[in-house]
Amino acid sequence: MDAPLSPVTLPVDDNINPYAFCVDLQGEWFLHKGKMIAYYGQMRFEALTVASVSALVAAHFSSPLYADDWVVATGVGKLVLGDRGFDINSYDLDDGNLTVRAANLLAFETRLELLQSIVPGFLTLLGTGKFLASSNGPVIFAEPPIRVDPEALVGWADCPSPSYHYDGHWMTQNLVGLLRGAIGIVSGEERQFDFTGAGTVLIQSSEKTMADPAALRMMEQQITALSQAEKVHLHRFLGTQLTQ
Amino acid sequence: MPGYVQVNSKVVQVPVAPGREVLARRGAMLAYTGQVTFRPVTAAQGIPGMLGRVVAGETVKQMVAEGSGQVFYGHLGLHLTVIDLTPGESLQVEADRLLCHDASLTSSVHFLGQQGGIRGAVRGAVSGQGLFTTQLAGDGSAVVLAHGGAIGLQVTPGRVVAVDPQAYVGHRGQLSVDVTAKVGWREAVGRGSGEAIQLRVQGQGVVYVQASEQKF
Amino acid sequence: MARFRKNGSRIVEVDLAGESVKSLAGAMIAYEGEISFKKAGFGGGEGIRGAIKRKATGESLDLMECTGTGTVYFAHDATEIELVPLASETLQVESSSLLALDSGLKTNVTFTGLRGASAGQGLFTTTVSGNGVVAVLSDGPAISLEVAPQYPLVVDPDAYVASKGQLTQSFVTDVSWRSAIGKGSGEAFSLRFDGSGVVLIQPAER
Repeated sequence: MDAPLSPVTLPVDDNINPYAFCVDLQGEWFLHKGKMIAYYGQMRFEALTVASVSALVAAHFSSPLYADDWVVATGVGKLVLGDRGFDINSYDLDDGNLTVRAANLLAFETRLELLQSIVPGFLTLLGTGKFLASSNGPVIFAEPPIRVDPEALVGWADCPSPSYHYDGHWMTQNLVGLLRGAIGIVSGEERQFDFTGAGTVLIQSSEKTMADPAALRMMEQQITALSQAEKVHLHRFLGTQLTQ
Repeated sequence: MPGYVQVNSKVVQVPVAPGREVLARRGAMLAYTGQVTFRPVTAAQGIPGMLGRVVAGETVKQMVAEGSGQVFYGHLGLHLTVIDLTPGESLQVEADRLLCHDASLTSSVHFLGQQGGIRGAVRGAVSGQGLFTTQLAGDGSAVVLAHGGAIGLQVTPGRVVAVDPQAYVGHRGQLSVDVTAKVGWREAVGRGSGEAIQLRVQGQGVVYVQASEQKF
Repeated sequence: MARFRKNGSRIVEVDLAGESVKSLAGAMIAYEGEISFKKAGFGGGEGIRGAIKRKATGESLDLMECTGTGTVYFAHDATEIELVPLASETLQVESSSLLALDSGLKTNVTFTGLRGASAGQGLFTTTVSGNGVVAVLSDGPAISLEVAPQYPLVVDPDAYVASKGQLTQSFVTDVSWRSAIGKGSGEAFSLRFDGSGVVLIQPAER
């Protein structure tokens, strides 16, 4: 066993190992629920929906859809964070912008501003400050032009939002693929996110994504808007998905 | 062959060029640069082709990457090991642990089981008492999947290594792999019921074993 | 005594020279030499009484004993392994985090106090004591944190792996904390450690 760490020897705002991070809390941080694994000191964790949240905090977190999954950590001490054994990295934004998959965002300083991206499942962070994101396997940084399997994408900075690229070759070579293209996509070879411009693309080491509870909420909202016939069709589709 | 780069323990970067196509498991492509197209292929050689109707789950859907560019491959966050082959050498890998390999390598399917032949293969595949392996040979590279990473254990004459089949990744060299059942083995590998098989590896070479007793 | 050695961070190799090592049943991935395997009960150490204690308390530990001459390779689910040497000490450990231990060490089940309702965790925990090495599982590299009178430690129970020393354990159940628990997890409380000792945590929730 290595020599144990203490509040004096724990890294300050840095990784303890690739899967755990220590925040030197001196005030407030936005934190995704359930990611605290240990702490020294005096801390309080309050849900974002609680009335005592200050107007300042509310203005910096503009995403009612995701507010449910977040808390504000307030206090002084050393806060150790971990996320299901996934790799954790910290990023420093300097008057910058970065869009990251909501399920991968772990924590960020309250001076950063959070907005909901129009790309479903992604959140945009703006301003100057530090944030933490987790990924399945280490993050790989690449530059456009590049095409990425949507399930392997973690986020992007500075370059424009991606568009979809359909691999026509794949579809025409495979009749089943063509049919699937009409119904739904099976693997990343058929459809990818296409990035161009100047910036950085963050890719994780796996096509396995983490569950995003908000995705289900979004779908529920959209389903209520469907017609009766459309809902029946969806019910049948769901049936086949569940038996696979 | 120059080119297969291990970006991190779970991702490899593979160059694709005309004449240097890459065969990979479907769904393993994470990202790519350049002009690369992907085409599905069905593995129809060897035993699985013949047993296709009997053992539906044994064939791994593959795709070939053609064109000119770099492809990033990874699968489910599993650890990858790049193995470079030299001409005259063959590598045997459990069939669905192969992530990707140079299309120029020759590949054939072998069944490791207690009884040889087609009937043995059918019985073994149906009862779970054997393993399908893909044998690769030639000049090129292959990438294998392992849960938690793989270590290579040296096998030398007089030193037999016994391996839990769920942890077996592959082997290379002049080795014979026998499939046997052993008293008390069931306790060792934690099988609840049914006969449990053990792989006994002898000869001269390396057997790759993963850091998990669950296959994936 | 058996010699324990890590090969990478997820495989432990144990050299045996006519001795035994106990491990989680099924965790053997390969071996060399002449080794025999048999069930070793539920780790109570005291035979029938130990087995009954485990069944009554819900602490389950399915062990097997490997005896012989050669080397046995253990791994479990690609989980990281931490080797903890004990020198006439007692290690308190989550039974689901135990991979292998020197046969000479004694295992027991002890009462830790009221934890409140939680999925899969009862009022008891497993202790290992004596002289020898314990191979402990950790989902992600384990982190050892010191506890001292001037700095007590609060830990998510799903991240808790093991602890040793002169520690008192209590439960933190204030309302503001409950809001910090994710929707998926079942724990509505956390563990607080006071005193002097070391706590081992994993960077993941069970």
